[in-house]
Amino acid sequence: MSKAEGRKKMSKETRRTLVAYSFIAPNFIGFAVFTLIPVVFAFILAFTQWDGSNPIQWVGLGNFIKLFQDTFFLSALKNTIIYCIGTVPLTMIASLALAIVLNQKVRCRGLFRTISFFPYVASLVAVTAVWKMLFSKTGPVNAILYYVFHVPNNELPQWFVGGLVMVSYILFSVWKYMGYYMVIYLAGLQGISGEMYEAASLDGANTWQKFRSITWPQLRPTTFFVVVMLTINCFKVFDIATLLAGGDNNTLTPSSTVLVHYIYQQAFVNWEFGYSSAVAMVLFVLVLIVTIIQFRGEARFSNS
Amino acid sequence: MKKRFLSLMMACTMVVSLAACGGNSTTASTTAAPTTAAKATEAATTAANKDTQAAAEDITLKWAIWDQDTTPYWVALKDSYEATHDNVTIELVDLGSTDYMTVLATQLSGSTSAFDVVTVKDVPGYATLVQKNTIESLDEYIKKDNIDLSLYGGATDQITVNGSLYELPFRNDFWVLFYNKDLFDAKGLAYPTNDMTFAEYDALARQVASTDFGSQVYGAHYHTWRSAVQLFGVLDGKNNILSGNYDFFKPYYEMVLNQEADGICRKYTDLKTESLHYSAAFAGGDVAMMNMGSWYISTLISKLQSGEYAAADCGNWGMAKYPHAEGVEPGSTLGTITGIAITTGTQYKDAAWDFVSFVSGTEGAKVMAETGNFPAIMTDEAMEIISGLEGFPADEQSKEALKVSNLYLEVPYHESVSEVNSILDTYHAAIMSGEKTIDEGIAAMNEEIGKILK
Amino acid sequence: MKSAKKKAIVGKICVYIILILISLLMIIPFLWMLSASIKTDKEVFQIPFVWIPENPRWDNYIRIWTKMPFLKYIGNTALLTVVVTFLQLLTSSFAAYSFAKLEFKHKNALFLAYIATIAMPWQVYMVPQFIMMSNVFHLNGKLMAMVCLQAFSAFGVFMMRQFYMGIPDELCEAARIDGMSEYKIYTNIMLPLSKPALSTLTIFTFVATWNDYLGPLIYLTPNKSNWTIQLGIKNTFIGQYSSEYGLLMAASVVSLIPVLIVFLALQKYFVEGIANTGIKG
Repeated sequence: MSKAEGRKKMSKETRRTLVAYSFIAPNFIGFAVFTLIPVVFAFILAFTQWDGSNPIQWVGLGNFIKLFQDTFFLSALKNTIIYCIGTVPLTMIASLALAIVLNQKVRCRGLFRTISFFPYVASLVAVTAVWKMLFSKTGPVNAILYYVFHVPNNELPQWFVGGLVMVSYILFSVWKYMGYYMVIYLAGLQGISGEMYEAASLDGANTWQKFRSITWPQLRPTTFFVVVMLTINCFKVFDIATLLAGGDNNTLTPSSTVLVHYIYQQAFVNWEFGYSSAVAMVLFVLVLIVTIIQFRGEARFSNS
Repeated sequence: MKKRFLSLMMACTMVVSLAACGGNSTTASTTAAPTTAAKATEAATTAANKDTQAAAEDITLKWAIWDQDTTPYWVALKDSYEATHDNVTIELVDLGSTDYMTVLATQLSGSTSAFDVVTVKDVPGYATLVQKNTIESLDEYIKKDNIDLSLYGGATDQITVNGSLYELPFRNDFWVLFYNKDLFDAKGLAYPTNDMTFAEYDALARQVASTDFGSQVYGAHYHTWRSAVQLFGVLDGKNNILSGNYDFFKPYYEMVLNQEADGICRKYTDLKTESLHYSAAFAGGDVAMMNMGSWYISTLISKLQSGEYAAADCGNWGMAKYPHAEGVEPGSTLGTITGIAITTGTQYKDAAWDFVSFVSGTEGAKVMAETGNFPAIMTDEAMEIISGLEGFPADEQSKEALKVSNLYLEVPYHESVSEVNSILDTYHAAIMSGEKTIDEGIAAMNEEIGKILK
Repeated sequence: MKSAKKKAIVGKICVYIILILISLLMIIPFLWMLSASIKTDKEVFQIPFVWIPENPRWDNYIRIWTKMPFLKYIGNTALLTVVVTFLQLLTSSFAAYSFAKLEFKHKNALFLAYIATIAMPWQVYMVPQFIMMSNVFHLNGKLMAMVCLQAFSAFGVFMMRQFYMGIPDELCEAARIDGMSEYKIYTNIMLPLSKPALSTLTIFTFVATWNDYLGPLIYLTPNKSNWTIQLGIKNTFIGQYSSEYGLLMAASVVSLIPVLIVFLALQKYFVEGIANTGIKG
């Protein structure tokens, strides 16, 4: 009897693992074949020289040595980091605030929700054209600066060249993706039980206290997701840069270039997959660091 | 454990397939014998044709092109070739124009037999295809058929790779100066001539311009491409875009930036922000002169005919030759060629060559001219056909402007032409947007390109 | 009491004003698209900008149907989107349950592998992936290629995992003690609770697949009969030397309608979370 029980226990352990794997398998097999293998391959490419057709040549760390002497790469790296530092917190705050407001009983909230999703789904040509119109030299933003803040005519800023181009990217990105992350937060907010708020109200908590002690901690997993996705997407910024500053042959100057644009250039203009993979590795390491920090924070939170 | 084994297996298949493919193109180019992997894919793609067509000589050539619906010459070339070649069918595969070279090079990375004949859109794209061993050297065919390369007016010299040619041009666009006659008439000025120095051109642009608010006239218009400004410098025949020293750009940047500062032409930064297309700029009726490629002729004619462009704004237009540097004969200009090539993976090399020589030869040239485009072989006949098109300016001078004495490609072939091209683009943008001064920008070009050419 | 009420009303008015301002800012691109869709190419980028052109070209909306096989492209895109969205929802919510609520070996490593692939820009591994897809699986030019690439994305697994993390473990534990199998817990407890997350994922996957351009560009371009809307729009209306932005916008407006319908239909599920299902954590 006890022997059989022991066997049963053993098989229970294995069965648990098997069950867990069976849940993952349908997705993982497709994921591994179609995405993971090419990605692993791209990792290896970073140490090679390859144009997509000719035999692959091993170059060891050659690409990385070249990388840190490449002034264009360094400015792309710097710009991308600045962009991320500006965009991640701003988008997170804006989308969370919007989600909280649109989670209240507000009239026409379905309509408001749909509208705030527009910049994300609308045609990129339209979105860019509108944004460029708003910030053009004679556009409404500069008009406000001129009439309200009395900035003299010849000092009105140029939003898409030189120093201000990063500011344009950041504002554009917040505006475009706010609705997207709002949707994620909205779904996250549904997971919070109303009873918790009722209990807090009975204890006399005000809105801010309720946010601090209920909403924010309960949204932890959602925030983790939002921050990681935001960071990754910010590091991968490409469209925004080429559309706002690229012109019709996608040319970015040292002050407006970003990492993925450089990766694209190396891969599809120069056909140097080795070097473009090396650039991607730098991006990858940056994202990984941010993610692991977040991951640790999340683990600590769920353990406590 | 099983899982790990499985994924290892998959990784192996992948690496093997990549290696096979990588090796494939090199062997194909040297021995012209496709490996089994390539054969398998070829068999898959052509099996259908073989089954349906009983006669063994029946051949279908897959030809990579773009904009089939809006560009008439693809079908015209196909039809006139098929009319004289019963056993050959040309299958047009439209890859779109926006990302044509990217899509084509990617397709050919997957399999060099994805197409039999490919159109090559620009020189950097040509360099990519050559270096990836995806297109065939044409030397032997050219020798065998005694093709006279002098007909191409020197263009083929600029795309020769280590003594070999991998494409033949069939379309050739060159830059001219478009002008709006009404604006010159309004000021009582003479029209631009076919023999202007840059100083005369600059003076004329300033005379015809009017900076009065409300009735503003721009003397000149420069599109955002680097070709529109910096390539004025290569027209004297002494300077070369691949020389690694770009100090000769300076006077032309100065001329254009001074015009910008004085309100003679639109600002580069405004053009970029407003996404103003050169076509719309000239059609607006407030641009007196614009340097642009000859492709704009057919756009202008057709949009005026359809009524989209108002005849009152730009209906009275003409053309003149590009301005020239002091002491140089007029008639030198920039050119953009479109070429046609044979893939290394095709199993119908001889048939493909026959088609390539048709398209790039005199017969193809006639078809091109009849559809209103400039063929690479510019015969008098072709010239007559184009200048006889309805809507083409009637004056002799505009006809004369089509005669080119020296054609310089926007970039000639070099193994690093893509890198050189993008560096020139980058610092052109930096100079024009004011991010760098002219001297700083040129110094950066010299340094970065110097590193590559070294 | 009265002043508190007044305060609440003032607060509400402020909220509405802010909401309306934000909405205005957000809706401009759509209005711009509508305006551009009844213009000629020249008028689209004309300065000064006019919202309603002198001669509105309503026939742009008719011409797009004859300029390209629009219905066919919509059909292709719809088929692709439905299949991808369905597979994505099914497989990723399944996998996410395991990642969030079960214990097994290499869990963290596997999960990091998922996130790692999100961090890799597609441009880097696009060509190796393409070579594999066309030489090993012979899927070049087929809609199936897009299904394979998009249905098993790491994004869906990551998102669903995060939502399941928010559902209290006690719910599952209680069910396990009652003798429910993991599959039952997933279907009877987790799925009903994850309506908001599932509808979010549906929206995102739907939009991403519907609006995707780069994927179809690489895989479907050579096969015109399999083109998607985005590919068709761009290749038809933007040429080498000419463009038709008016028609492009008309086509974009039409292609946006299904996206908006899906969003409007699903957004109401955001409010049907735990609070409304009666099961409270």
